[in-house]
Amino acid sequence: MEQLLNGVALGALLMVLSSGLAMIYGLRGVANFAHGALYMLGAYLAYTVTERIGFGLALLVVPIALALVGVVLELVFFRPLQHRSHIELGLVTFGLAMMGERLVTLIWGEGTLRVLPPEFLQGTTSILGSDYPTYRLAIIVIALVMAAVLVLLLRFTTIGLHIRSASQDIETAAIMGIDANRVSLIVVSVGSALAGLAGTLAAPYISLNPGMGDVFLITSLIVVVVGGVGSIAGAMVAGMGVGIIQTIGAVYLPSFAVLLPYVLLVVVLLWRPQGLAGRKV
Amino acid sequence: MTLYSTPDTDAVVAAENRPKALHRNRKGRGIGLAIGAGLLLIGLVVPYVVNDNFTMSLLVTSSLMSLMALGIGFLARYLGLFSLGHGAFYGCAAYAVAIATTNWGWGPLPAVIFGTVFGALVALIIGVLVVRASGFGFLMLTLALSQALYQMSNQTVMRPLTGAHDGKLITYTGNATFFGLSMSDMMDPGLFWPVAWVALVVTGVILWLFGRSRFGTTLEGIRENEERMRFSGFNTFRPRLAAFVLTGAAASLGGALFALNVGYISPDILSFGKAGDSLVAALIGGLGTLVGPVLGTFLFVYAQANFNFGGNIHLLTGVLLIVVLVFAPGGITGALTKPYRYWRAKLTQRGKGAEK
Repeated sequence: MEQLLNGVALGALLMVLSSGLAMIYGLRGVANFAHGALYMLGAYLAYTVTERIGFGLALLVVPIALALVGVVLELVFFRPLQHRSHIELGLVTFGLAMMGERLVTLIWGEGTLRVLPPEFLQGTTSILGSDYPTYRLAIIVIALVMAAVLVLLLRFTTIGLHIRSASQDIETAAIMGIDANRVSLIVVSVGSALAGLAGTLAAPYISLNPGMGDVFLITSLIVVVVGGVGSIAGAMVAGMGVGIIQTIGAVYLPSFAVLLPYVLLVVVLLWRPQGLAGRKV
Repeated sequence: MTLYSTPDTDAVVAAENRPKALHRNRKGRGIGLAIGAGLLLIGLVVPYVVNDNFTMSLLVTSSLMSLMALGIGFLARYLGLFSLGHGAFYGCAAYAVAIATTNWGWGPLPAVIFGTVFGALVALIIGVLVVRASGFGFLMLTLALSQALYQMSNQTVMRPLTGAHDGKLITYTGNATFFGLSMSDMMDPGLFWPVAWVALVVTGVILWLFGRSRFGTTLEGIRENEERMRFSGFNTFRPRLAAFVLTGAAASLGGALFALNVGYISPDILSFGKAGDSLVAALIGGLGTLVGPVLGTFLFVYAQANFNFGGNIHLLTGVLLIVVLVFAPGGITGALTKPYRYWRAKLTQRGKGAEK
């Protein structure tokens, strides 16, 4: 039971992170390699804000700060380079990821840092007879709420409709009168904000070190591929699935667990190359 | 034929017509081989000119890494595929050499052959999974699978083979020699240089010949319009896989020789950063030409050794990568050959005008 909840907690984080990645991919056709760096930046900013003011505020401030970073990304890189090949743009984000890791080290140092959750979330809560850290429950609740809000926004608002149509076919959407640049600005900043939120939520759960972005980036790239490239719902389902499988796997096959996401990737590729929810291109 | 050919399918037409043009470029091949032989001889003089051991070791490392960059460049040029996975073949081959010599007591030469074959085999297995993908799929999958190998090499279960986090020190049984080089000679950059340089030039020439052959033209056709190539009766999966394994073998040779030269393998060789380094170096050098990736790698290794203030090399290469991609997508060689290409295009245009 406890392990299952751990899996759900990791899965919830992956859901939030991967849905941002999938949204940007759908719209700009670019797998944002800097997403891991954004997540890491979110976690480190959360550390600083928590030290100065408090964790509650970090939950609010960090996503906003990351949304601004997203705006910069869109205006400086994605928009001016949108007519270049997608690969080139992707490699630009790879360059950003390389820089990000180093910048974080320069600002916050190489050592590992810890963030403490607020006091009322520090204890344990009893669920079905077993004690479980309250903070992890909070992660699950916040992340699931965010995911639900995102789904509702995408399904039932005008801008959500625009985002979905633009990620299906950006050119046709533009012909139909949708301002693709505006939609993209929103998507990239929301995607970055979600990465920031995931980083903030993860900060008290893991220890911060400059390599943390890479691991998560690769896992969430796997999630996006498994879920079906460009499919937000697919990424969410796959994120939760990968989180649970990896955590449960760690219990039963300790030395094999880190490889599980990769095995899953290979299996899905052989069985369904376009991903679980992907359309045949 | 001209009725249907649009500029982007020129290569397809060329592939379809290839059998007729088979004997046309004999002369060009002779010139190329002569240049290769010349480079080979010039390179062999280098240890007599450069007396400084540090520079020499940088040159050896550059040559070995260039083997990987050559492979990445070949894939990018002929198939338009960008690989983050060649570091994996480089690393696997290095580990294979270390395991063959240290655990099984093989001599260096069989170990290098084993390492190269093993790396190529890994490339075959990964290739079957990834070469169907194109563009981003390929980039992400090569990254993910090479990271899987990195994780695997780090597992405690693998300790007897790879040494896990501690890395692996290579030892030989008895007085093993490699082309007359003893163990300490192999680690001497001046003495090891001919091996590295010959491997680089020969591999470069081989890849160049493959690029000019029918195989290369087929690959270009697949790059431009895979569907049309299929309609024309080409199997498009096998050439892609063959190209992937060929370039993987080049990277593996580099890794196998690297293992001999350094004598110690750390799991870092398979890491995320390393996987990117070579692609970045190739991009900065320029993917449009054969020498671009090699030039990029030499510059990269030099910069890494000399401008690595407090470990900021990735910050600098990140900035440089973005600058190159945004302002000079052809890389350094692309920027250098631009005036030449412009001039040649002008001349041929004028020639065509005169014909009319």
